[in-house]
Amino acid sequence: MKDYKKYFPIFEKEKGLVYLDSAATSLKPKVVLDKLMEYYTEYSANIHRGLYPMSERASEEYEKVRGKVASFIGAKSPEEIVFTSGTTAAINLVARAWAENNLKEGDEILVSEMEHHSNFVVWQQLAKRKKLSLRILSLEDFWQEKFGLDKLVNKRTKLMAVAQISNVLGKINPIEKMVAEAKKINPEIRVLVDGAQSVGHVEVDVQKMGCDFFAFSGHKMYGPTGVGALYVCEDRMKEMEPADFGGGMIGEVGIVDSSWAEGVEKFEAGTPPIAQVIGMGAAVDFLMGIGMKNVEEHESKLLEYLLEKLGELEDVLVVNEERHNRIGVVAMVSRVVPSHDLGYELGEKGICVRSGLHCAQPLHNKIGEKYGTTRISLGVYNSIEDINKLVEGIKKIQKDYK
Amino acid sequence: MDDLYRQIIIDRYKNPINRGKVIGGKNAVKANLSCGDKLEISAKIKNEIIEEVKFEGGGCAVSMAAVDMLCDKLKGMKIGEVMKMSGEEIEEMIGMDLTYSRKKCAYLGLETVKKMIESE
Repeated sequence: MKDYKKYFPIFEKEKGLVYLDSAATSLKPKVVLDKLMEYYTEYSANIHRGLYPMSERASEEYEKVRGKVASFIGAKSPEEIVFTSGTTAAINLVARAWAENNLKEGDEILVSEMEHHSNFVVWQQLAKRKKLSLRILSLEDFWQEKFGLDKLVNKRTKLMAVAQISNVLGKINPIEKMVAEAKKINPEIRVLVDGAQSVGHVEVDVQKMGCDFFAFSGHKMYGPTGVGALYVCEDRMKEMEPADFGGGMIGEVGIVDSSWAEGVEKFEAGTPPIAQVIGMGAAVDFLMGIGMKNVEEHESKLLEYLLEKLGELEDVLVVNEERHNRIGVVAMVSRVVPSHDLGYELGEKGICVRSGLHCAQPLHNKIGEKYGTTRISLGVYNSIEDINKLVEGIKKIQKDYK
Repeated sequence: MDDLYRQIIIDRYKNPINRGKVIGGKNAVKANLSCGDKLEISAKIKNEIIEEVKFEGGGCAVSMAAVDMLCDKLKGMKIGEVMKMSGEEIEEMIGMDLTYSRKKCAYLGLETVKKMIESE
């Protein structure tokens, strides 16, 4: 198997680090760090304002990323990409800039039980505030891929908000099929896809999926923290009103009223995370350089080995044992060691995993693991040896707790 | 984590001394929602002194062991003193320094006890 660790400087400092928490945030390759350094040391200026060369270069680099991101996720044009501070901010932006102005009392929003809180609580609270009705797609239906959308979708359903990949189950949801099914009942339904777990792990094509909105984070796809993007298809973009006001998003400002900038700029008030956006562009280049097909292949080979090894362990329950239609996000429970202790004890051995409810409490309640699970999630830098160390670690800790 | 204290915590988690419910006393429930820990503390308090105290609930070894040890310590204590107890005292009690996230586990017991004392 190919060794991708060499692209990540952290492994030079943290010898023997086993990082298995990429679903929370990924490590950063040197090309991304270099790009951040390049911005801060060569053209560290604000964008869209200054006429001096340094500022012009910053603007160019920043805008170039819009195009890179657009083609990376299969958008029609860079004008469909809004930079945000991450997935959460992107979903909140849809609620405030689009749903706020296009949904009215009595309208319905459909969300699933497997959502991360950021694609659940946003809609729950909007529904409360605007007297909308929140309908829930059950986990069982997802499991069997029989969505029963005919019972859940009707003419009043204005939005369906679902994750492309669950951050606990690793399951890849058949978005394309769901969209087609929902649109058969209500052609006017709009679809938001939470892509936090998919970008950087599987090939993404927003047009093929047929979604109106697609949200994702830079830091989970080898980019810097504090940045993400929202794809908004051309037609929905026209229905959105600015939600944040200030510099950079205005056309003309008078004492009584103001007008807005043309295009996506009107959703990017204030100085944006310039360095982070530029760094995210380098992360896109990094992934395209490897090739998403190769990323998928590398991670699915590791996933197969991981599932096999976990399956051999006593007192270990893997929440989703499916080998297909999923990525390397694996939640497990030890019947001997509570998830929090397992995460902590593995950490003491230099193995980083995540324990708890993973911001998906409704899902954990449903699967009956109210004390949480331990989640192992893969990235390109992982190796067979990492998994061997993990499995040995779990064995040893379980022995101590028995 | 120091191996000796680690063993004490694991033992205490597996074989708690103060698990149960004090009937007819005060009680309070508190949860740590980020990890799923949930505790119920019940106690008999007479003349501002804790006479009997027990806990129920589930969670990680550190939170369960810490609350079990805390129950030992609380018996005979004045509620005024309990209200003044700090997180450092919990760390001292379980014999180790705790990392950022694990403090939440270890302090859950004390927080629940304080909530119980303050309840009507």
